[in-house]
Amino acid sequence: MFMDNGLITIQKASRMLGVAEQTMRRWDESGRLIAVRGKNNYRYYKKEDIEEYAKNNLKDIFKSVKNWVLSGTGVEPRPDFYCKDSAVFQARLTRLKDELSKIKNLKDTYFLITSIAGEIGDNSFAHNFGNWPDIMGIFFAYDLKKKKIVLADRGQGMLKTLRKVKPELNNDIDALRTGFTEVISGRSPESRGNGLKYVREMVISNEIRLFFQTGEAELKIQKGDLNLNIKKSSTKFHGCLALIQF
Amino acid sequence: MTIYLKKFGTLLNGRMFGKEAFAAFLPSLKDVSADEKIEVDFDGVEVFSPSWGDEFLGSLINKFGERVVLINTSNPSVKTTLRFLENINKTKFKRGS
Repeated sequence: MFMDNGLITIQKASRMLGVAEQTMRRWDESGRLIAVRGKNNYRYYKKEDIEEYAKNNLKDIFKSVKNWVLSGTGVEPRPDFYCKDSAVFQARLTRLKDELSKIKNLKDTYFLITSIAGEIGDNSFAHNFGNWPDIMGIFFAYDLKKKKIVLADRGQGMLKTLRKVKPELNNDIDALRTGFTEVISGRSPESRGNGLKYVREMVISNEIRLFFQTGEAELKIQKGDLNLNIKKSSTKFHGCLALIQF
Repeated sequence: MTIYLKKFGTLLNGRMFGKEAFAAFLPSLKDVSADEKIEVDFDGVEVFSPSWGDEFLGSLINKFGERVVLINTSNPSVKTTLRFLENINKTKFKRGS
């Protein structure tokens, strides 16, 4: 997808920004984000321009991450949102922790928010290690002004990983419920796996809200929720997607 | 012997990192005498997540059982995670002062 001259196609650029190609054409015509024309008169973009644009136009990280997981063909997220391996994730999680700890009204909960994000991200790596269907690693971004953290992977999803230890699981809804309620691990024969149970406990006892989707099942949890509100989603993808709000 | 967890970092997260930390520390445990107490010192740890804790403490307790004693556990992140691990594993960690 990279041209010899360092330019990228409109398809790649649109995926990096999480918008439709038609939007890119409109932006080019209006001068909002100008393309370079190739000899064939097709539109191409400088990768740095796209990254710069994305950095300066951070509107809705949830929309961006959702576009990324829903996209039929996987593409690596923009570099500042992309954790290819757990070492990169750990470094960025540390940065998130440091930034959260500076927020005055989070001094009693910043560590919880960090560990919730940490457990969700760690789950993605632990359950897809060596088995990524297309793009390895996770999309991890946050917008502290809007108090949102998003994490997503284009991995196998909970149903596929949990079926290895619980073959009777029928659908994404059952898998999602199991993941958040039962002590079970998709990495059989290892019997551990409690990250999502921890996440649930921390969310229901603090001012934190969580949206989580895997396959075509989603749940929302917030403070005081005793029951899991799981339903069928209007969208479907392989992998997992989480939005943490605080 | 005392294991100072802050030497592994102030943000202890990730099952793989917990496992790696234990594996890396294992050679230092070979000289521990048969009845020696193993103190795990949480002083300086800022974020202690269950995945890391489960791997590290679980492996340590499997090896040394009741001789493992946790100290300086007053940090809220440490307290919360230890309580969670105790509930989920139906166990009780031994705490020192």
